[in-house]
Amino acid sequence: MQTIMSVGIDVGTSTTQVVFSRLSMDDSGGFFSVPRVSIVDKEVVYKSEVYLTPLVSDVWIDTDALKEIVAGEYARAGFSPSDMSSGAVIITGESARKENADAVLESLSGFAGDFVVSAAGPDMESLIAGKGSGAFQYSIDHHARVANLDIGGGTTNVVIFDDGAVTARGCLDIGGRLIRVDEGSGLVRISPAAAKVAAAEGIQLRPGQKADLVSLTRVTDRMARVLEGYLGLGPEDVLTPALKTPGSSDFERPGHPDAVFFSGGVADLIYHPAAEDLKYGDIGVLLGRSIRGSRLCSDFHMGEPGETIRATVVGAGSYTTTISGSTISYSEDIFPLKNIPVVKLDEALQASLFRGEKDEVAARIRWYQAQNDVSLLILAMPGKRDPGYGEMKLAAAAIYEIMDQLLPAGAPVLLVIECDIAKAMGQMIRQLPGMDRQVVAIDSIQVSDGEYVDMGRPLMNGMVIPVVVKTLIFG
Amino acid sequence: MINEALIEEIVRQVIAEIQAREAAAGGKAPESGGYPAASGSRDVDIRTDITSREVKAVPLVDQPEDPEALSRMMRLTTARIGVGKAGSRLKTQTMLALRADHAVARDAVMLDVDPEVIRRLQLFSVQTLCEDKNQFLTRPDLGRRLGEEAAAKIAEKCEMRPDVQLIVADGLSSTAINANIEKVLPVLIDGLNSRGVKVGTPFFIRFGRVAVEDQVAEILGAKVVCIFVGERPGLGSAESMSAYIAYNARVGMPEARRTVVSNIHKDGITAVEAGAYMTDLILRILEKKASGVELQN
Repeated sequence: MQTIMSVGIDVGTSTTQVVFSRLSMDDSGGFFSVPRVSIVDKEVVYKSEVYLTPLVSDVWIDTDALKEIVAGEYARAGFSPSDMSSGAVIITGESARKENADAVLESLSGFAGDFVVSAAGPDMESLIAGKGSGAFQYSIDHHARVANLDIGGGTTNVVIFDDGAVTARGCLDIGGRLIRVDEGSGLVRISPAAAKVAAAEGIQLRPGQKADLVSLTRVTDRMARVLEGYLGLGPEDVLTPALKTPGSSDFERPGHPDAVFFSGGVADLIYHPAAEDLKYGDIGVLLGRSIRGSRLCSDFHMGEPGETIRATVVGAGSYTTTISGSTISYSEDIFPLKNIPVVKLDEALQASLFRGEKDEVAARIRWYQAQNDVSLLILAMPGKRDPGYGEMKLAAAAIYEIMDQLLPAGAPVLLVIECDIAKAMGQMIRQLPGMDRQVVAIDSIQVSDGEYVDMGRPLMNGMVIPVVVKTLIFG
Repeated sequence: MINEALIEEIVRQVIAEIQAREAAAGGKAPESGGYPAASGSRDVDIRTDITSREVKAVPLVDQPEDPEALSRMMRLTTARIGVGKAGSRLKTQTMLALRADHAVARDAVMLDVDPEVIRRLQLFSVQTLCEDKNQFLTRPDLGRRLGEEAAAKIAEKCEMRPDVQLIVADGLSSTAINANIEKVLPVLIDGLNSRGVKVGTPFFIRFGRVAVEDQVAEILGAKVVCIFVGERPGLGSAESMSAYIAYNARVGMPEARRTVVSNIHKDGITAVEAGAYMTDLILRILEKKASGVELQN
């Protein structure tokens, strides 16, 4: 049994939070079989208060103030950045669209610990929130199809888990802070997305106008209707394409979910409606009420989230780090590896490798290199279920020759395979004559084309490597 | 004399007759009298393999409360759940699948390892003191011992004093050896050679049990001995192979001195991966000069 500390930092549209988690891993393989290390327990040991995300202007995040918040939370929790073996900083919602978003992320992840990774992108957010809220675990425990709607200040992140598998992800520009109101109930800011919804309802909203509850409620009711249609209750609302968050996936309408979970700041206002109409200086309370009264809450079984406003930060702290399979192959002293892009082969391309053919895969990698300026990349593939010795040898030789030809001198050969064959593949590549590159081959990790992977230092006597699979998409 | 070709011919005739009859009835099987078939019954075509994963994945429960949940549960286990019942008994399909699986298990025990596999791996063969399969099954003690002739052959053909001596034995499942040994053995030999370990001359023992490796280690003076054997088949898989590895093995030593890698098959640890894993494991055994429980401490 080994425990590691993990930090989660979420810089959201309206709020910023920090959590510290303890992850325990153990070898459940037993005496008579090959080791099988897994994360056996996740415990959140410290939750920060919920801060307002500090902004210099509408388009610029206050990096120094943010660092101060994070440093203060480390001190209060009694940890230092060097205590952290893993973790993630995620920038979400409208914050990801600020002009200095990537710079903020980079400086914060560097400051939070050597092995703390950065992530951004609406799909990633949807997944992390759904894990942090408990929807993911519920879908596994009940073998159920579960939807998680993380409704924050700027966006609503939706994910569908079907018995633990992610079957759909999407994101809409629907949130509680899209319209801001000052203390005298005058409208301060109307986001473009909110203006679109209002226009569709035939309502004109201008800053300085007095907030009109009837109009604002019509806007939030319409937002709720868009979400109903999104989850398959009634036809899709015509506004849906216009509200799709840039960089998010096309959401495939799922079959009827067995349960729906709400997380994010607005979730608290759905589960516990507030009496004061414009309590937080925005439309959060109204949106919560509209959703509460919608078919989302009457037609579906309502799940009970373990976390609401903290779902994303808990997800970032506890659920982003996974571990590789326990029989893997790697060169020493190469970790951590950060932000390595993935080129994923499909079954057909992979089959050509196992026949010892190089041209198709080489062309695929060359094409990727032409589109992206990268020196390192991970070659990922599904792997074969029970490969033979001969075809493994062919694939090992083909992979090495392709990578040796296309990678700059000194760059390592990095492989991520879904099936449990990485140790054999890594060992065979190492045995090739003239092999002079470092090799990392890990398995039992699912990745997709276009994702990024971070690998930390080996754990559990070197049996496993902590891995974060993520996206890096800024709006 | 009934031979295989004749059986195939009969089956082909029967299938042709069935197809002709179906065609005559407008693609529908004719009423055969008796009770009418329940609507939505799922008869399996005579031409499909009822022991296959695909057929076994289909629930046989009539009108399940939650079909999706039942399918999910069935994906989690190879146990025969979701099979329904006919009155107080198993359904015919379940009963037939059970008997077919049992036949596969019996075959695994009773058949010999494919001589082509042994030839392709260029292994020579010896036999334990057992004279036939029946004696092998009833006298475990004889399956652990080699006669003088076998011992002499081993001493003559094998490199003496290797770091690692690899042995293949049929054990209780020849099917397991057929399915896995060609994938695992070359990976392991390549792996050990590339790390500068002296690997002895591998060979095959017919009617062999695990502890026969101890006598081999004594004959050859091997530091480490490793025997691959087919595991006693269950009704789930007949393809599971294990490897038993011992440092400085001696006849009569305690079983606790063996390190085991079990469950080598396509649904357990993949054969090629087992070869790679065992490379590192054997290196560690050589380095620590210990195996089994002593290696864990």
